[in-house]
Amino acid sequence: MQFWNQIIHTALLGTDKKQLVPAELGPVLSAIAEEVAPQPASKEEQFLQIASLAFNYRLAGVTVLQKKEFTISTAVVEEKEYCSAAATRVLKDILLEESLPLLKFWLQACQYKKRLVTPDLLPVILKTGAAQKALQQVIIDCGGKRAEWLSQFNTDWKFSSGISREELWQTGTPEQRRVILQQLRKEDPAMALEWIQQTWPQEDANTKADFIKILLISLSENDITFLERLSNEKSKKVKDEALALLKKIPTSSIVQQYWNIIKQSLLVKKEKALLGMVNKTVLQVGHPSSIDETIFKTGIEKLSNNKEFTDEDYIAYQLMQNIPLSFYEAQWQLKPEEIIDLFQKNSASKRFLPALVLSIVHFSDERWAIFFMQYCTTFYTDIIPLLPVKQQEYYSNKFFTDQPENIIHHATQREHEWGPELAASILRHAAKSPYQYNRSFFNQHIHLIPFAIAAELERFTPTDDGFRVMWSNTSGYILKLLSLKIQTLKAFNE
Amino acid sequence: MNLTEDQIFALAPDESSKKSGRELANPSKWVSKAINEKALWGECQGSGSKPYQTQIDIIDIAFKCSCPSRKFPCKHGLGLLLLYARQKNDFKISPAPAWVEDWISKRGGKQESKTEKAEKPVDEAAQAKRQQARQKKVNDGIEELLRWIKDIIRNGIISIPEKENAWFENMARRMVDAQAPGLAGMVRNLGAVNFFSEGWQTSFMDRLLRLFMILQGYKNSDDLNESLLADIRAAIGFTQNQEELKEHKGVNDTWLVLGKQITEEDNLTTERNWLFGTNTRQYALVLQFLIRGQGAQYALTPGQVMEAELVFFPSAIPLRAIIKSQMNASIPLSVTGFGNWQEVGAFETELTSKLPFRNERPYIIEQLTPVWHNQQWWLQDNQSAIMPVKAGFVNIWTVLSLSGGAPLHMAVIGKEKEYEPVGVWYNNEYKII
Repeated sequence: MQFWNQIIHTALLGTDKKQLVPAELGPVLSAIAEEVAPQPASKEEQFLQIASLAFNYRLAGVTVLQKKEFTISTAVVEEKEYCSAAATRVLKDILLEESLPLLKFWLQACQYKKRLVTPDLLPVILKTGAAQKALQQVIIDCGGKRAEWLSQFNTDWKFSSGISREELWQTGTPEQRRVILQQLRKEDPAMALEWIQQTWPQEDANTKADFIKILLISLSENDITFLERLSNEKSKKVKDEALALLKKIPTSSIVQQYWNIIKQSLLVKKEKALLGMVNKTVLQVGHPSSIDETIFKTGIEKLSNNKEFTDEDYIAYQLMQNIPLSFYEAQWQLKPEEIIDLFQKNSASKRFLPALVLSIVHFSDERWAIFFMQYCTTFYTDIIPLLPVKQQEYYSNKFFTDQPENIIHHATQREHEWGPELAASILRHAAKSPYQYNRSFFNQHIHLIPFAIAAELERFTPTDDGFRVMWSNTSGYILKLLSLKIQTLKAFNE
Repeated sequence: MNLTEDQIFALAPDESSKKSGRELANPSKWVSKAINEKALWGECQGSGSKPYQTQIDIIDIAFKCSCPSRKFPCKHGLGLLLLYARQKNDFKISPAPAWVEDWISKRGGKQESKTEKAEKPVDEAAQAKRQQARQKKVNDGIEELLRWIKDIIRNGIISIPEKENAWFENMARRMVDAQAPGLAGMVRNLGAVNFFSEGWQTSFMDRLLRLFMILQGYKNSDDLNESLLADIRAAIGFTQNQEELKEHKGVNDTWLVLGKQITEEDNLTTERNWLFGTNTRQYALVLQFLIRGQGAQYALTPGQVMEAELVFFPSAIPLRAIIKSQMNASIPLSVTGFGNWQEVGAFETELTSKLPFRNERPYIIEQLTPVWHNQQWWLQDNQSAIMPVKAGFVNIWTVLSLSGGAPLHMAVIGKEKEYEPVGVWYNNEYKII
């Protein structure tokens, strides 16, 4: 469009500086422009008239590009069926509500029923998946071939591209590689370790540190050799992460080193009691004769920060946090209840009970978590997540009145719905603290609230006038979310 | 009445109304609900002691509710309509109660009273005097605007991006004073060019030349035919009496609402509803101007199908229209659009020859496929001709997802070399984009 460029060029400079020469407009326009030229009173008007003519010439002469070579691949026909109209409707409502837990709930239901999200909603779901890594796998399953096809046009949606894990591991973004490694580590820990080792020399320090963190999934003694080799890494961050993992493997040399120190300090003795009529077993927590100074480079503090503990006791306390409790069973040939009893029998050793709790949490020792709950006279909420669901429910209900905040904290970490009693306790407590337990709290945790509680919400109305109104609003909101939850279930079970 | 949920949501004034409306689409919220051939109504238990009475005229879609909300339609209206869309069988067919009957008959009465009003005698001498005074003001305004445009051209547009908004606003106000509000809007539009974007020069010149053509056309009114003059007068800001217009015979058709574009300026919301006559294959633009808090005369929603008589404003290429009467809403029909881009181009050329300063308009084009080339999206027809999608069109992903690489019948809005999809036919259903 040479003629139009001339118009723009003249317009930019202004008619004071440049005049439009009709001959520059090409053969067709110049002839007509010549006719216009002599008539107007001013050069501006002459320009405007010729430009108006050219403008219409341009508009009227639009030619479309013929490009046969421009093609687009066609999406493969789906193998699964699309979800029902009712399910799509609920999904739209959930998206309108901006509730990620409900979206996850819906997608999981869709995944379970082997159905697909309809194409009109796929872009918004893929966009969510790009930001919410945890939803990616379920989105891949519910996105079907169409999502796979769409991913080639949008780099943010590559996670649904359907290309092999290995290829994505080699060529993907750091975030995609992390997601893949997490998945593989769950399914095949040895293979995940192998993949890490293959590309290890090419990774930078931050990526290495991230990958080590992922090894926490399915951590086992098979990882020791690799992790111990990392003590030669240049990056302190990488070394620290590796050491943190080694401390979680009972057979690692660091845990063994700790154990060798602490087992000298813990003495189980048989003593006479009741004028020598009865034998009793007591635990003495002493001090090791010598401490290998290298442990202080592994995160063990030399000086106590707690006035109830001497420096030596404090070192013992820290070491005990890093010793699996099964070691005591083997060393002393005692049953778990006897070991717990030993510790809680006298005040000197009882001080170390929290270290045992920290050890259970540190090693995610589910077996000992059950024993501890059963035989310890003190209740430690930190153990709750390690218990089987039924026991979590039981102990949460039992100790709710004493430690409501802690119980609620652990309850929100669960994946399974709360039981009716626990849900009632939590909601009753929440109704009295509307600022802390607001709409956002219930939005985040709606997947945990059972639908059966809907009929009881009114019962939890607090007596305080101000809070009553707030609870009325909040419970209305909970009802709305619960209704979406039940609609999801219905839609997929129709 | 066959509105889909998407169409009902498109009626909502804002996002929160959609959410609230959805909550009310629940049978437990309604004390009563029923329908007859004219209206849909229900009583919704709100926070007050008496339930709110919500009613919807289902022939000429309109809402009324006894709730105090200033939103239009209110959440109760949306909720009731949604509930009907979801559970039609739950609505019993019954004679309308008095409160519904009153409103429906008043709506009919309103039309009559408007006609009566129009029949009142007009002081023709005073009217002629007013018109003369305005004519003079407009003429003076046009001369001033022409001088301003020539100054721009004399000095060159290269310095235009440095001008502050006040420079354009000042001239726009002069045009308001000259009783030429259409010209004022076009001057503001000049200042609204994105001077940071590539090709701003063409964008600016297009607007400036359109303005110049209107001014020149008006100055040469005597040589123009009536319909072209009507276009020029409308562009300047002379209004057309809509009641008078309704006296004319309109076009009866089954109209499909292709899309709705909403712009907001100060307190005024402008609704541009694009319609397509499925039998006459005529396109129409129904404008609605809403002042905050006031309801719209018509509740039009994309995808809606209605039997209606539309009267077009006089124009060289009639497009803008008003709804004279609206009959039964009917089921969606299959539509026939343009076969390819070449046909659209030929039609555009014909339109340009009739009205040189026209704006964008809708087209239904069959078998279009989105394709990616040269860092932008194009719409390819069945002859492999391609046309660029308007830059910054965010919903291309929805179009692409529905297409899956296969061609779709599409409704687009645009002109020259930029078009924006507003709806597609997917599985025989019109989907709003």
